[in-house]
Amino acid sequence: MAEGFDIDHLAKLARLSLTAEEKVLYSSQLNQILGHFQALADADLPATIDDARVVNEAALRSDEPGPVLGAEAVTRIAPASRDGQISVPRVVDDES
Amino acid sequence: MSNAPSDWEVVIGLEVHVQLHTRAKVFASSPWGFGKEPNEQVDPVVLGLPGTLPVVNREAVEKSILFGLVVGASVPEHCSWDRKNYFYPDNPKNYQLTQKDFPVVVGGQVEIELPGASRNVMGEHKFIRIHHAHLEEDVGKLSHAGSGSLVDYNRAGVPLLEIVTEPDLRSSAEAEAFLRSLVAMLTQAGVADCDMEKGQLRCDCNVSIRRRGAEKLGTRTETKNLNSISSVRDTVIYETARQIRELEAGRSITQETRGWNAELARGYVLRDKEDAHDYRYFPDPDIPTLKISRETVARLAKQVPENLYDRQRRYVEKLGLPYTAASVLVNDRALAEWFEAAVAAHPTNPSGIANLVANDLLRDLAASATAPVSLESCPIKPAQLAGLVKLTDEGVISKQQAKEVFAEMFTSGRDAAAIVDAKGLRQNSDTGELEKIVQEVIADPAVAKSIAEYRAGNEKAINALKGPIMKRTQGKANPVLIDQLLRKFLA
Repeated sequence: MAEGFDIDHLAKLARLSLTAEEKVLYSSQLNQILGHFQALADADLPATIDDARVVNEAALRSDEPGPVLGAEAVTRIAPASRDGQISVPRVVDDES
Repeated sequence: MSNAPSDWEVVIGLEVHVQLHTRAKVFASSPWGFGKEPNEQVDPVVLGLPGTLPVVNREAVEKSILFGLVVGASVPEHCSWDRKNYFYPDNPKNYQLTQKDFPVVVGGQVEIELPGASRNVMGEHKFIRIHHAHLEEDVGKLSHAGSGSLVDYNRAGVPLLEIVTEPDLRSSAEAEAFLRSLVAMLTQAGVADCDMEKGQLRCDCNVSIRRRGAEKLGTRTETKNLNSISSVRDTVIYETARQIRELEAGRSITQETRGWNAELARGYVLRDKEDAHDYRYFPDPDIPTLKISRETVARLAKQVPENLYDRQRRYVEKLGLPYTAASVLVNDRALAEWFEAAVAAHPTNPSGIANLVANDLLRDLAASATAPVSLESCPIKPAQLAGLVKLTDEGVISKQQAKEVFAEMFTSGRDAAAIVDAKGLRQNSDTGELEKIVQEVIADPAVAKSIAEYRAGNEKAINALKGPIMKRTQGKANPVLIDQLLRKFLA
């Protein structure tokens, strides 16, 4: 795979149904976009402080607990839930 | 247990994740705490819902700075936050807010004490350098059930300070000593509670080995998410043995991320370098860079408590405490301060006070209270304990009687002097009356042999005379005074 990505896999992740023509078109466009980012990534830029976006401690929040949504509201906005928890497909980063 | 046969040296670096002692989360106002029902401590910012913006909690920043000051680190003028991108349902935003380039704490060191040859002997001291510490958010908790996984976001967004050491540790014992020392410093400064049973301290452990004398570091493995000091110790022992076995069999070490199964006491591969994550870090656009004023640093510096080993040295060198007592007292700041309050009330015998605190008081507190042992509910106040030691030092009661009075004080909370009077324990210190009794006993032919022996140079023979004196006074004679009188009359 020359692109460094799998257009079918990306389409699936993005829940998109692409035609064969669209796959060719978007692969080429995505490659261009990634090329721009690669150019940025290749530049040797040391981390610096951006003076324009520095704030002082007045911008911090005080350690005061505020309201919460509640488990009922949290699980309501999730695609699936069980017993107050959000239910997801089994993900295991564990001993198999 | 030794970690490495002599021709191999183990090199260990730790990344310690500590939940900071705050009420609200680090970038959101949602409260947090252990033992709540799932997803009850979640707000829109924690979930990263559209339209929300994170704002940094001042207390989390100040607790981080305080940690830096405790370990003698520098607190840079600026710190900033980055997004660490990864796709895993423990994080609702698909990125974790952390600090990559400009952490809040840089450098510093932690003094550690290795176990001595026995409990009474102080072991070697070493300094372990801190590379940096950064303030980030904790992630949610997954539990795996059947074909699916369940997510609880209560822990997501809890302030987490990640403390990264230099690879300065050389054995499992050093790793264990480092963590004990770090926990003591964090809790004594009020930075964190470090309750490992509640997951408030978790550790990633980097281990490599090299031939003794070699300068180049070996290939390291990282064992993640160790949630107890014993797991870190066992991981180091296991990983050292495994790597030696691999290298001695002519194989090489793979740079990999590993997990630890504490029940089976064995490690396992999570992923190797080839599928290592590319986190695509970039500066978080929602949180501006923070400038930390030197006034804040100076204010927090005043909150830094005395270092526990400085305190231990002071107790041994200035107060003359035995190491055994000093090492018990300094591990708990509240206990050390309680002890010091008692010493302030009776400054001439710190060892006598230390003995009662480190042995009797701790024993009775442990036996009476439900864990954790709390000095706040202690029925004896420091000045009262000092009063008891003073009565013993002045010879008003014997050491044996002091134990009895202590027990009574612990039950009733009354002053030592009141108990001594109520029980009629006050020793007879009437010199005139005692002189008479001492002279009568000396004149008794039954003790002539002991007197002769004492006069011939046998110091201990004098003790044989004390029994009869005590008997005649029903045990109330002041033993210090008896000793003085006997020596005077037998001289």
